[in-house]
Amino acid sequence: MSIEKVEKLKAAKEKIRLGGGIDKIEKQHKSGKLTARERINLLLDEGSFIELDTFVEHRCTNFGMDKKKAPGEGVVTGYGTIDGRLVFVYAQDFTVIGGSLGEMHAAKICKVQDMALKMGAPIIGLNDSGGARIQEGVDALSGYGKIFYKNTISSGVIPQISVIMGPCAGGAVYSPALTDFIFMIENTSKMFITGPQVIKTVTGEDVSAEKLGGAMTHNSISGVAHFVDSTEEDAINRIKKLLSFLPSNNLEDPPVFDTEDDMNRIDEILNEIVPDNPNKPYDMKEIIKIIADNGDFFEVQPYFAQNIITGFIRLNGKSVGVIANQPKVLAGCLDINASDKASRFIRTCDAFNIPLLNLVDVPGFLPGTDQEYGGIIRHGAKMLYAYSEATVPKVTLVIRKAYGGSYLAMCSKDMGADLVFAWPNAEIAVMGPEGAANIIFRKEIQNSEDPLATRTEKIKEYRDTVANPYVAASRGFVDDVIEPMTTRQRVISAFDMLSSKRENRPAKKHGNIPL
Amino acid sequence: MKKYIITVNGKKYEVEVEEVRQEASERVSRPVVDKPVAEMPKKEVKKEPKVEPKKEVEEKYVPEGAETVEAPMPGTILDIKVKEGDNVKSGQVLVILEAMKMENEIVAPRDGKVVSINTTKGASVNAGDSLVSLE
Repeated sequence: MSIEKVEKLKAAKEKIRLGGGIDKIEKQHKSGKLTARERINLLLDEGSFIELDTFVEHRCTNFGMDKKKAPGEGVVTGYGTIDGRLVFVYAQDFTVIGGSLGEMHAAKICKVQDMALKMGAPIIGLNDSGGARIQEGVDALSGYGKIFYKNTISSGVIPQISVIMGPCAGGAVYSPALTDFIFMIENTSKMFITGPQVIKTVTGEDVSAEKLGGAMTHNSISGVAHFVDSTEEDAINRIKKLLSFLPSNNLEDPPVFDTEDDMNRIDEILNEIVPDNPNKPYDMKEIIKIIADNGDFFEVQPYFAQNIITGFIRLNGKSVGVIANQPKVLAGCLDINASDKASRFIRTCDAFNIPLLNLVDVPGFLPGTDQEYGGIIRHGAKMLYAYSEATVPKVTLVIRKAYGGSYLAMCSKDMGADLVFAWPNAEIAVMGPEGAANIIFRKEIQNSEDPLATRTEKIKEYRDTVANPYVAASRGFVDDVIEPMTTRQRVISAFDMLSSKRENRPAKKHGNIPL
Repeated sequence: MKKYIITVNGKKYEVEVEEVRQEASERVSRPVVDKPVAEMPKKEVKKEPKVEPKKEVEEKYVPEGAETVEAPMPGTILDIKVKEGDNVKSGQVLVILEAMKMENEIVAPRDGKVVSINTTKGASVNAGDSLVSLE
């Protein structure tokens, strides 16, 4: 082969590697963003990235596009490894026509989507795009459609992770929305269906892009995103950690790590961590960290619906999904957002063979007209559905309150929990002692000389006789009442026993989860 | 005429209630009964509006860039842990709100200065009611 041809190839690749050119790259850096290739290099193991479709070009001739070059078509695609495990990746290149999505740009993404599905490997999309390439018209739209379709087909087969590293507006938001996890970056990420200008002209509302679709908006108010980081580097490190909890596909188990933490560790502090007064809150996250290997808790959606906690821990090195009520926030009540957050997480874990640990301290569903009008019935039903549907090992630990429907919604024995434990101070009952006493002993309280004293007495009577774990245990709804300090070893041994669990469901196209 | 037994603070009161028909003669014939009945609830209602004029005063502070901390759910204010003018750190407890049988700690969303307290100890609040304004 002539040296000339090799040199020509090198030069062509070098040109494409520069994307939109030095000026545009500098502009990208100035706005606090890395380029597509810099991001990929940070994400993947050093030197592992293999680029695909480097030479793809657009076919658009409308509006002078025939004279416009788009090196790499505004997206860098390929594969590589993270911690030695195969992943597929695409990164939109904002320096090339604003990272806008046209027919061939979409075709590049679709190719890696197909490959990721075929090889059973996670796919990570780094989004930084101004939206559809308008010049390409319906061809661009078709591109989005194909990506959405492949997102859906891949859902529950391979982990799909989206990172919003710039603007992501209009139809473009729906590809991330269809994936399993969305990462956002403070200040640079924006996601919305209609931007501030459109809102201004249509409804007259004045809202900044940050307030409308910034990282914190989607992490705390809308619940669209799962993680927020202050820099792109932090987000990329978090993606690597997330992947360590996930299998490469739905037929594999998550990787097991040697965490060197004693599985028989006794945590005496757990005996005292819950206040004696059932009306006093405490931080459930402390309990999760004490039970977990090395106190390491990887929280998912930490800012959204904080009355329920979701996240991953390792128990004896194995990945476990935790769903826990947080008494510190909204008394730990279940509400619309908490139900949505937990249900999605339960299904994510079930899809990827991650066992579930449910820590229960729930006083009930949040009362109120906004909850009822908002459809708490249909949202709360998602939790019942998700838990019943899940076939992964399910262990439930009742820490304190477990009342009524919310007790069932937190995966009681009847919802398919394989093992249910309770701490001695657990109160498992159809409703709280105060309310129950008012109903059961209404006559006694009414006719008493001193109704207040009688009521207090009756509440105590109810608490002593019914609101404890032993009534439920006597029926077999609770498998064992355990000493809190032995929780870690009991839970680890439970998951060990359950590791060979196999459960069959009737064949069907798919269930009909209330959405 | 219907008889009710109403218990207030442990004391029982026997109350007779008569349904007022549209016939004018009956209405006129019972003016003495009507008045006390109408006045009693008014007196009780007056207690609550006492809080509201305060709120109006607080609202004047809000446009100055103050951030209001709202009640996340309906309940009763058990305790107020800060005073006007206090400097508070993010995460510091401002108010204890008893709701759903839980003494919920309402904490400061960020560092700041308490410019006004918009509720009182023992007050019943609804979700979204302003509790404290921070500057």
